[in-house]
Amino acid sequence: MIRQIAAFMAILIFSGVALAERTPAPNNAYVYVGWPNDGEVLYADRPFRVWFGLRHMGVAPKGVDRPNTGHHHLLIDTDLPPMDEEIPSDRNYIHFGAGQTETMIELPPGQHTLQLLMGDADHMPHDPPVYSRKITITVR
Amino acid sequence: MMIRVVSIVAMFAVFGAAPVWAASTPAPKNASVYIIWPPDGAVIRGGKLWVRMGLRNAGVAPKGVELPNVGHHHVLLDTDLPPLDEEIPSDRNHLHFGGGQTEARLEDLAPGKHTLQLLLGDHDHTPHDPPIYSRKITITVPPY
Repeated sequence: MIRQIAAFMAILIFSGVALAERTPAPNNAYVYVGWPNDGEVLYADRPFRVWFGLRHMGVAPKGVDRPNTGHHHLLIDTDLPPMDEEIPSDRNYIHFGAGQTETMIELPPGQHTLQLLMGDADHMPHDPPVYSRKITITVR
Repeated sequence: MMIRVVSIVAMFAVFGAAPVWAASTPAPKNASVYIIWPPDGAVIRGGKLWVRMGLRNAGVAPKGVELPNVGHHHVLLDTDLPPLDEEIPSDRNHLHFGGGQTEARLEDLAPGKHTLQLLLGDHDHTPHDPPIYSRKITITVPPY
């Protein structure tokens, strides 16, 4: 019995440490792709604007540690990354660490997915993570 | 003696004022702020809406964060632009979004016409140089 309690305590302590590393998100935080719409058909060779919507939460550039803030990451043609690690930075995971709230992108013809994921001052997803629905667009 | 004191005070006033001007945050190149929604002329039933605040070629940062090329949004409701070389007032006509918010919930708009305009403020709530503000739009709340 004592051993079980000790194990339970250990789990609590370690999970507590893990939780402490992640920035809490406001309960009702809501991020969404404001434009384009899901199913939108866009023209190739013509850059288009992607607008980032965020409610019940604020934007802060990377490195700025303020409660209830984060910065946008645009996920293109990829699934959500691991939620307990720094968000990757490559052509599928675009960081907006300067506090941008929209961007212009150009994609080759075909179907593409777009999704937003908020990152904290250290590019880590919040707890719970704040991400949008994944939308699909067609470029032709 | 009195004149000397006055002249010293005046010098302080002059030199004190000069750095305030110099401290005005330069605007990011090509930065513009605009109201994504509602569109000019929109009819808002019930007087409740989310104002979606758009910003191009600059970033959003909460108040007090001094970084290049950032600012935070202010919604001007039913008012003209304030003096652009002073801190933006904070009252029911000048709504501050110092938490870095990019959408503003308005809930108690009385029936009638209302104007909305956005003005970006720097870490000290002072407009940039040159100031970054949107076109002023008009919305109508029909009688309940």
